[in-house]
Amino acid sequence: MSLQRLWQMSYDSKTIDILRNSKHAIPIIQSFHLFGITLLLGAMVILNFRMLGIGFGETRLEVLAKPVWKWATSGLLLAMASGFFVFVPDPARYAANKSFLVKMTVLLVAILFQYTFYRRVVRTESANVRPGRHVVVPLVSLTLWFTVAWAGRSIAFLG
Amino acid sequence: MSIVELCQAIQQTAWATRFRQADLFFPLVEGTHILSLSLSVGLILMLDVRILRLGFQSEPVSRIMRQVMRWALPGFAIMFVTGVLLFLAQAESVYTNSYFRVKMLMLLLLGINAAVFQFKYFPSMVVWDSGEAVPAGAQVIAVVSLIFWMVVIACGRLMAYEL
Repeated sequence: MSLQRLWQMSYDSKTIDILRNSKHAIPIIQSFHLFGITLLLGAMVILNFRMLGIGFGETRLEVLAKPVWKWATSGLLLAMASGFFVFVPDPARYAANKSFLVKMTVLLVAILFQYTFYRRVVRTESANVRPGRHVVVPLVSLTLWFTVAWAGRSIAFLG
Repeated sequence: MSIVELCQAIQQTAWATRFRQADLFFPLVEGTHILSLSLSVGLILMLDVRILRLGFQSEPVSRIMRQVMRWALPGFAIMFVTGVLLFLAQAESVYTNSYFRVKMLMLLLLGINAAVFQFKYFPSMVVWDSGEAVPAGAQVIAVVSLIFWMVVIACGRLMAYEL
């Protein structure tokens, strides 16, 4: 089955029709999407600023890492689940949207980076990391996540 | 002159019209407004998490609060400046929007909520902030903060659809 056909099927489905035609459904789902993103980015800011040495220096990295990881992941899952329901009512529109494609690509890279390389750096170095020792890793993380968010915002503006 | 008329006048100024229709500047201001949620609300949520003992339990509340505020305050400053700009660009449509009014009411209540925390629980924090128990009142404040911030975000999203 081609993607095109999958989009068409999803577009024609009755349940999804309700989502699409209700005035409030999409903005309310998007609110959960934004809340998830806020949770994800808020948590990520803590760990990355700590690694950059520009904040949260009074607390040891490994003490911050565990809850940050838990809440960032919860935020990410909420954002992905709600994002799915924004996507399905109008998949063809998103599939043709350049910002959306950039968003999905960078999101994939961000997730891979965060849950493999980044995680290992935090784990192995957390014992005695002085603030500011790692500059590249937190900068890459922040850049990736904020690029995902900006690309998401520009779906509506740039197309 | 009524407030609506004043807002109408602001919205009709050449500056507001140019700003509203700007291809790049308007989305940039709006995007900055939304993305600074990560610094402002995002960090406040982490403080709520600590107060509710859902994370960072080994750290005193005061220590988490001090570190969170250092970045949350500039975050709220960006939020406020970009928010005022967005308001001025569409003053009349925003002022007459009911979601905007709910949003402002929620922000007022959140301000009161934060003030209660500051005056009632902050002074006695040294006594309880490293221990096992957080005063029930302080936990209620954290829950109110979580829920109301969610409503603020939802109102912001809903009003954008009607402007």
